[in-house]
Amino acid sequence: MFPHDGQSGAWCLALKQVRAIARATLVEAIQQPVAFLIMLSAVMTTLLVPVFQFHRFGEDGRLARDSGLSCMLVYGLVLAAGTAGRTVSGEIARGTAAAALGKPVQRVTFLLAKALGVLAVTVLFAIGVLSATLLAERGSAHFIAHGESAGYVTDVITLALAVAGVAVALIIAAARHYFGRRRFGVSAFVGVALSQVLVVLGTGFYNRLGQFYPLHGEAACTGCGTDHAHAASWVLYHPELNLRVVPAALLVLFALAVFAALATALATRLPTGSTLAVCAGVLLLGLAGDTLLTGAPLWSGRGLAAGLLPDLQNFWLCDALAHGGRVAWRYVGEAALYALTCCTFFLGAGCLAFRERDLG
Amino acid sequence: MTRAVTRRRDWDVPENKQPVIETRGLRKVFRDFWRRPTVEAVKGLDLTVNDGEIFGLLGPNGSGKSTTIKMLLGLLRPTAGVIRVLGAAPDDTRAKARIGYLPEVSHLHPFLTPRETLMYYASLFGLPRAQATQRTRELLAMVDLEHAADRVVSGFSKGMARRVGLAQALVNAPALLILDEPTSGLDPIGCREVKDLVCALAKNGVTVLMTSHLLADVEDVCDRVAILDHGVLRAEGKIAELLRQPDAVRFEVEGLDESDAAAVRAELETRTGRRVRQEYPSMSLESYFLQVVARDGRQRSFAMAPFLHSPSASPHSQPSAPISNS
Repeated sequence: MFPHDGQSGAWCLALKQVRAIARATLVEAIQQPVAFLIMLSAVMTTLLVPVFQFHRFGEDGRLARDSGLSCMLVYGLVLAAGTAGRTVSGEIARGTAAAALGKPVQRVTFLLAKALGVLAVTVLFAIGVLSATLLAERGSAHFIAHGESAGYVTDVITLALAVAGVAVALIIAAARHYFGRRRFGVSAFVGVALSQVLVVLGTGFYNRLGQFYPLHGEAACTGCGTDHAHAASWVLYHPELNLRVVPAALLVLFALAVFAALATALATRLPTGSTLAVCAGVLLLGLAGDTLLTGAPLWSGRGLAAGLLPDLQNFWLCDALAHGGRVAWRYVGEAALYALTCCTFFLGAGCLAFRERDLG
Repeated sequence: MTRAVTRRRDWDVPENKQPVIETRGLRKVFRDFWRRPTVEAVKGLDLTVNDGEIFGLLGPNGSGKSTTIKMLLGLLRPTAGVIRVLGAAPDDTRAKARIGYLPEVSHLHPFLTPRETLMYYASLFGLPRAQATQRTRELLAMVDLEHAADRVVSGFSKGMARRVGLAQALVNAPALLILDEPTSGLDPIGCREVKDLVCALAKNGVTVLMTSHLLADVEDVCDRVAILDHGVLRAEGKIAELLRQPDAVRFEVEGLDESDAAAVRAELETRTGRRVRQEYPSMSLESYFLQVVARDGRQRSFAMAPFLHSPSASPHSQPSAPISNS
């Protein structure tokens, strides 16, 4: 009946369990009203920043870009820590963790699956906010010299489409809930993220002036920030998006993954509120770590703090994008390794803490 | 006299069975955040549950029943002592794959439907999808929740949630079934069905360990019981032996009229020189209730047939029909 005898069978069973628990964690997390509200707040804040922009900070679109990435980090931290707290400490308190661990599930498997579920929620959130950031930056006021006229142009169409996308996602989620009894929270959370991705793809069909392609040569481009290899040709599809944001957003996602692992580990022993508080403290210390802790002797309080706390400045390279700057993909790879090391450390500590935890 | 509807021993429990659960010197001390001891919930418990029997663990609130069960499942770490469950340590996943567990409170994910809940637990046992789907369908039919299979359980009554909990405990066709207050929250019909189910499973070789505050339920279905109080084992043995009153004898005669009864009573008093008490036995309230609702056509029985083929069932075990109403 149970085809999972032997070493390979045990691994196969563990993988199935990880998939099942992670999926249940994802569904539980994103159907919570608070998760949907966090996603909605982050996306709407990001999209509305260009509307209320009164200063350019020396560069077109910079405020929208910085705000979007900041929203991703701060809202994402609350989402990751809150989800981990609810899904681990909440399940321990409610008894559903005991019900699962009464089955042939190892505690390590359970905790890793929970961390993966939290990470999946964070990735979905990051996709939505990254898309909104790209749209906000394109939509914000840019100086455009087009033909014989020149001036600042706000891409109202893109911003309106992005906001309308959110509204349509909510309407569809409500309709699915009413007619199909599908979970509103799940549909709305995924729908908002998906709507932003679709609008991002849709922006390739028109330029900042609202002119639909095909257009000829440079007439098609209203300032995408790239070289104009297409100058002499007809343009059919040209999304004028600042894709330099993507590696910077990936770095923020790595930071969120570290927080997801940290929060999951903390939640094995602490309630959700305490988990959130510790994560907020680590965020502050991690961002200030460069200033406060660099150069401290290894075997001192500051030195140990420097070793144990993740250096979050490694993941915050928003300023590197200023004035056409780029984040090298090699650096992104190195940051990924650093994040993986941090996650392994925190989850290892979490497994140790969870191993002896009484589940009643 | 008619007692409960379900009677445990319509069949024989084989003697000299292997122990399925063994504890020796089991202790559990709960500690606070600073590791200071707060309460000793279980104090040196020696317990043996044999293969194929229905064992009842009784005791007042706070006596250590649920703590013992959680230690058997590896959810709580014992402070001292040895536990063997199905021949393995309590956190051995191979042994756990053969255990079904119904917690005291059903502990269901509130956002999942019963169907999703059973599929979720089936996937924790590694059942292939087709088999999990089939088993889920059978279990939903068994606990009479097909009509609510796709509603989230957060809106369920306690009894309905209990049924889902019971179904999830059987999703792996367990060799050992651990039931913590299985009839809690169920109406009399549900209680009766659970007792029937327990008996039917035991008849097919499944070992059952159950706790209950409803002593009549335990008396109806259990072979042996242990009574815990303040973490100490106060009594253990077969129900018939524990409850037997060796200095009293009771006769039951049907169709005896008043004058014959008086004559028999007088004769007995004359012969024994002792006072003889005469009673007219009545059925239990449970039996009366079940008769009334049966007249109303509402009584039903768990459709258990698919679950009687447990992996632990001996080759000569025969699938049984649901126990008839009597």
